[in-house]
Formats: sequence, C-alpha cells, structure tokens
Amino acid sequence: MRRAVRRHAALYAGGVLLLVVGAFPLFWMVSTSLKPSSEIFATPPRLVPAHPTLENFVRLFRDTSFPTFFRNSAVVSFATVALTLTIAALGAYGLTRFAFRGRDQVAALILTTYMFAPIMIIIPFYILVKQLGIVNTRLALVLSYTTFCLPFCLWLLRAFFASIPLELEEAALVDGAGRGRAVWHVVLPLALPGLIATAIFTFILAYNDFLFALVLITSEELKTLPVGVNDLFNATIVDWGMIMAAGVMITVPAVLFFAAVQRYLVQGWGAGGVKG
Amino acid sequence: MRKNALAGWLLLAPSLLLLGTLVVFPILYNAWLSLFDKHAFLPVQRFVGLGHYVYFAHDEEFWNSFGHGLVYAGATLVLQLAVGIPAALLLNEGFRGRNVLRGVVLFPYVIPTIVAVILWKWLLNDSYGIVNAWLVGSGLTAAPVAWLGKDWIMVSLVLTSVWQFFPFVVVTYLARLQTIPPELYEAATVDGAGAWRRFLHVTLPQTASVLFVIVLLRSIWMFTKFDTVWLMAGDGGVSRYIRTLPVYAYARSFTYLQAGMGAALSVIMFVLLIVATAVYFGIFRHDEALA
Repeated sequence: MRRAVRRHAALYAGGVLLLVVGAFPLFWMVSTSLKPSSEIFATPPRLVPAHPTLENFVRLFRDTSFPTFFRNSAVVSFATVALTLTIAALGAYGLTRFAFRGRDQVAALILTTYMFAPIMIIIPFYILVKQLGIVNTRLALVLSYTTFCLPFCLWLLRAFFASIPLELEEAALVDGAGRGRAVWHVVLPLALPGLIATAIFTFILAYNDFLFALVLITSEELKTLPVGVNDLFNATIVDWGMIMAAGVMITVPAVLFFAAVQRYLVQGWGAGGVKG
Repeated sequence: MRKNALAGWLLLAPSLLLLGTLVVFPILYNAWLSLFDKHAFLPVQRFVGLGHYVYFAHDEEFWNSFGHGLVYAGATLVLQLAVGIPAALLLNEGFRGRNVLRGVVLFPYVIPTIVAVILWKWLLNDSYGIVNAWLVGSGLTAAPVAWLGKDWIMVSLVLTSVWQFFPFVVVTYLARLQTIPPELYEAATVDGAGAWRRFLHVTLPQTASVLFVIVLLRSIWMFTKFDTVWLMAGDGGVSRYIRTLPVYAYARSFTYLQAGMGAALSVIMFVLLIVATAVYFGIFRHDEALA
C-alpha cells in the first residue's frame, strides 16, 4: 500500500516537472504578450498580467510588416503541402503498384538524399536558383521545401500504400471503375492517415524554415515569418511585448494544425522520425 | 502487381526531376565549386585545386568552429537523452492526465525555431528575464547572470536547443516502449527484479535499436544545425563563442561572399559525417540492434 502511494507521488512529481519544463516557457510568452510595458519590466515579474491588454498585438499588426510575413508564410506553406502531397503520392503509388527494374535501388537512393542537411548544399543551391531566374520568388521557396520534404514523404507514403491490399483496388477495377477512380475512392481514403502525417510534416518544415528564406528572399514584401520576425527583433531596441505577441501569433496556427491531427502524426513518427 | 515499367517511371518522374535538379546536382556542383575561388554573386572564378582545404587545415577559425560543433552536438545529445528517456518512461506509465501531458511535451518541438529562440532570449534576459529574477530572488546567485554574454552564451544555446528537441527523443522512445510485451516485465517481477533491474534487463535491451537510431539522427542533425545557432547570436558580437561549422560555412559564403570556401566547408562537413557514421556503425552494430 505504502509502495503504491510512493509510486504515485513520484509519478505526479515527475509529471508536474515535465509540465513546467514543456509549458512554462509558452505560458510566459503568452503572459508577456498581454502585459503593458510597465509590467513587462517590473521586478519581480508578475506571473499573470494585472492589467491585461492587447496593445502589443495592435502595434504588431499596425506598425510592422507582420501581416505580410504572415500571409507569405501561409501561402508558401500550403502551396508546399499541396505540391509535396501530389508528387509524393504519385511517386509512392508508382513504387508500390508497378514492378520495374531498379525500383528498389531508386527507393534507396531517394532515402540517401534525406541525409543532406540544407546547409550543406545551400551555396550551389543559391547559384542554381539564380541561374533559373527564380531567386526572390515564392516559387523558389516552395520548390526548395518540396524537394527537402520529398524523400521522407515518399518513404512514409510508400509504407502506407504497401499496406493497402492490392485486391481492394483490383475489385474496384473489376467492377468497372477506371484506375483513376479506383485510386481516388479506394487507395487514397485508406492511405489517409499517411497523407495527413505527410501533410503535417511538410507544413511544419515549410512553416519553420529559416535558412532558405534567409538566402533566397531579399525583398521585404516576400519575406516569411521566421526571417521577418528576426528582422523585427534585430531592428532597434527590442520591444519585448510586441515580439512575444509575434511569437504567440506564429505559434497558434502551428499548434492548431498540429492538435487537430496529432494522433495521426504519432503513427507517422513511428514510421521514420521527423527531421529537425 | 503489374509489370509496367513505363508507368512506374512516369509516376516517379516528378520526384526524380526535383531531387535530381535540386539535391543531386547541387551536391556534385558543390564538390566542383570547392576547387575554385568563386565570388558568391559575381561569375568570376579561379581554379585553386585543393587550396581551400589546405587553408582550412591551418585556419584557427575552422578549428574553433569544429570544436564548438563537437561541444554543442555532444552536450545537446547527452542532455536530450537525459531528459527525453525519463520523460518517455514516465509517459508510458498509467496516470490521470497522461494524454494531456503527452500533448504538452510535444509543444517545444512544434513551435518554429524563431519562436523558441526569441522566447529563451526573453526568459534569459539579464535585466528583466524571469530566470535571473528567480535565481537572485531565491538567493542562488548574488547578482543576475549574463546568460547571453560571452561566458554563458554556449550554455544558453545548449539549454534552448535541448528544450526545443528533447520531444523528438520522447516520441520516438515512447513509440518503441509501447510495443514491449508486458509479459517480459511480469516475468522479471516474478524473478524478483526491482524497477531499476527491470529497466536494465528488459527495457534497455528492448529499446537498444531505437536508441541506436535516435543517437545517430540527433547527432547528425545537431552537428548540422544552422538556424538555432545562427538566431542565437547572428554574425557579430558574441557569435564567435558559439560559431559552429554550419554557421562558419554560411558566413564564408554569404558574409565574406567566398562561395568556393563555403563549398569546401560543406564538403568537409559531409566527409566528417560519413566517417563518423561509418565508425558509429562499426562500433555499435550488433545484429539485433538493426532488427
């Protein structure tokens, strides 16, 4: 009996510690973003704002290019997700439904490219993008992110497609459905958890990226959130309330997107890990 | 399964085109570029052979960056494991609120790097940061600690990175823990093994393969980490106390505009990783670890 009590106490102590480590910094970000500047610099700091205000958010949206950065990040991230899903689904379907020579070697080779961190090829990448005439465009970002997500997404989807019995698809074909319809109505719904995991992985990578956006984008009106907010941070004396408001605004979509589909992600994670 | 090579290749074509153009070609071009003195923006280039490599062999900045990279990757790896494995073991137990906690633990990994870094810079701010307020308030330190000054910047960087990336260890380790058959623990308990011995003789062997992968991936990713390190101190000021090879390569290419030198640094990083990975496999490869 006493053992059980001790065990429970230890579990809850560990749980509380983990909760503080994981959540306190985020709580502090939200709290700071809601404080008027007099409270931000108060000593000792108050955990909860005494006079909560939205003025930091108002300044962020009114006085800075934050709305533009936000729109750019949204456009680029969603375009990347759409393009990556399409290309990876086509490729994974080809890898699992057709037998051809060199298929396994190609699959292995694709996975090898996953080993290359962007920093290791950013210089030739930049020169190439410049040669293609798409430097300082959203297209360059979308293509970069798609390329760097592809190896992982192809492997993930390949595993999901391979687990869908061929007979289901063939039954649909026998019933007179074309291949396109068979794929659309039979394969894709069954692969949905895989597609969702792929979408989340891609979104997080595109939404988070700093390096490509730093190197490939030069004009203010095309900058995405990470680079744009870093510029705001470095511009003058740091306006902590506003910067924390920016942090909150950047975090909300990521967390929402993630929370909505978290249970699928854990499956995807088990299948191979998320890069970062 | 149909034998239809053409359809298979056609479906793969978009993937192969992108990977070929934007990954494989740049890798080869990068190796070629490292043999030239090349301006980052202008087309001028001059062949120097292995000159850049010889230069870096005697370059103090290179060896500093290499050292910082080892310290950074090593410290963050050990701490991510030290925090992540106990957290995963905890989250594998049954208790009320477990699922909420599992979600909360993932937070740091989901938020973008830029947010993690500005957030920790605020927590660690020397005058108004809450960490210093606690330290001084509780009497642990007499004066505020200059966390972002030259003496502590590496510690702050490691702290931020561990917070940001330990959830990866939690999730991957937890996924494996959940597949261990409970009978193994029951048998060990019957044999009189306590919690510590059950961990040592059941959990650890069962999770050896996933640990192998975690250590490999996290080492590679921490060694090649650019954004967290760069955002922590940028290019000036105290940045030279945390500058790692990725940041040095970036600075050579885009600050000094010496693309050839930057390319050579990338090649060096690549070779280092290949060698380290080969050694790692050589030392730790047991057949059951790869099963």
